[in-house]
Amino acid sequence: MIHLKELESLLYRLITAPSGVAEGLAAERELVAGGLDAIVLGDERLSAEARVDIYANMYFYRILDVLKEDFPATLAVLGADNFHNLTTGYLLEHPPVEPSISHCGRYLASYLRDHPMREGAPFIADLAKLERAVVEVFQRADAAALEPDSLRAIAPADWPAMKFKLNSSAQMLALDWRVSELLRAVEEERPWKPAEQGAVKVLVWRRDARVFYRDLEKAEADALDAISRGATFAEICDVVAADAGIEDPVAAMNRMLARWLSDSLLARG
Amino acid sequence: MKRTDFPMLGYGVGLRRQHYSHVLETRPKVDWFEVISENFMVAGGRALEVLEGVRANYPIAMHGVSMSIGSTDPLNRSYLQQLSDLARRFEPAWISDHLCWTGVGGRNLHDLLPLPYTEEAIGHVVARIRNVQDELERPILIENVSSYMAFADSTMTEWEFISAIANEADCGILLDINNIFVSAFNHRFDANEYIDAVPAERVVQYHLAGHSDHGTYLLDTHDHPVRDEVWTLYERAARRFGAVSALVEWDDNIPEFAELAQTADRARAVFDTTTPKAKHDSPKRTGKPALPADYRA
Repeated sequence: MIHLKELESLLYRLITAPSGVAEGLAAERELVAGGLDAIVLGDERLSAEARVDIYANMYFYRILDVLKEDFPATLAVLGADNFHNLTTGYLLEHPPVEPSISHCGRYLASYLRDHPMREGAPFIADLAKLERAVVEVFQRADAAALEPDSLRAIAPADWPAMKFKLNSSAQMLALDWRVSELLRAVEEERPWKPAEQGAVKVLVWRRDARVFYRDLEKAEADALDAISRGATFAEICDVVAADAGIEDPVAAMNRMLARWLSDSLLARG
Repeated sequence: MKRTDFPMLGYGVGLRRQHYSHVLETRPKVDWFEVISENFMVAGGRALEVLEGVRANYPIAMHGVSMSIGSTDPLNRSYLQQLSDLARRFEPAWISDHLCWTGVGGRNLHDLLPLPYTEEAIGHVVARIRNVQDELERPILIENVSSYMAFADSTMTEWEFISAIANEADCGILLDINNIFVSAFNHRFDANEYIDAVPAERVVQYHLAGHSDHGTYLLDTHDHPVRDEVWTLYERAARRFGAVSALVEWDDNIPEFAELAQTADRARAVFDTTTPKAKHDSPKRTGKPALPADYRA
């Protein structure tokens, strides 16, 4: 009799064997003395191996389907066959450990960073990083948005020392490739072009249960960084004024503030 | 526990993302919804907003896929805490999961794997169910899974196994009629015998779903209408168990909501015609949730 722990461990190894149950079984010959038939019942319709193989297929294809849904642009760029092979290797290095399957793509971007598939698409890791951020922002904690009226009520003398708080769902990504347009094209089912190289910060945020993303100009990225660090309004204005590309810092600050409010990017403190 | 400890919710539908807007905007006439617990174990966002809206108008039950009650890994305390928090917030009529294991060694297969039907497995699972029930401060329901493999070491039938566990752990049974049919075909047992053998007082809920025929085996795909043979089995269950809350599951090739609601209506009609004496027990569609007396809406 095989004890429950041994049985579960054996089946886990067979189900997740990268080249299939048959190959996985070959590596278990010493452990499975009587063969798989001594453990799993087969019959004339389905052998023991074929039965375990059903689970192996379900394991792989269930996760592949989730990754395809979460990384549609990565899939479009690599193509279905490459994405399939990518998933095989990825699951070996990062097998799921969380109860929710929605976490299974958490490490795909970092896995792609050193992957040979980058040769044909050097932007692919950044693209996957943006796609993963979209998934994560969708389910991050809610925060009540700061209303414009509450700002109007603040006395002018209090503005310099005032601090803002970024909506907790927002993420700012530092990328080396401009991948936003590529992702947007795939989402809108338009033809896509390879991303261009260039350092860029991308803001990903949620408003009314929808996720948005856009590339940031340097001044706005610096201002949002300052907010994240807990800077006062006066310090944020200094950051914007120090940007060489900004001719009228006051007007720029006003534009940014108006946009942050309409995007629900600022949260009540 | 006994079935009457739980409310009879009527005939419901599994809440799926494709129908969120429809359900919130039109408040369709179904008695209740079952939600996949893990889909709502998130910090925030649309899923929780939707569940707030649904819960305001319907009773719900929480159905999990990752408790892994049969795993030899330690129980995942963080998972149980999240489940407990979710239950406190949304007050489901009950919490259910599957009689299976989903992973081992800290890894998750995201699948529902069968256990060997042995005394060792019974002892292991019973202790864990008791532990979970203590943590959640309520009895849970365990569901029979569809399976494609059975084990040489098994010393009893599946229905003896689930019955022993439910009795010893003092938990309820979520009887998936389609899963019985699928497993009966795959392992050549008599589905009727299964229905006739499980302890009636512990059957709190049914699942009804479709499956795929792969020739040498049936696969529990939840992507087809409920097959006629499964309806026949449901009739047998209805005759034996009386009024039990029933739920239509559909997870792939998901049709318009109306088709799911019609399937739930058919489950009601089958029950009403199969067991005319118990007709009064079957809640009628009123557009309002069929809330039990002790249910805090």
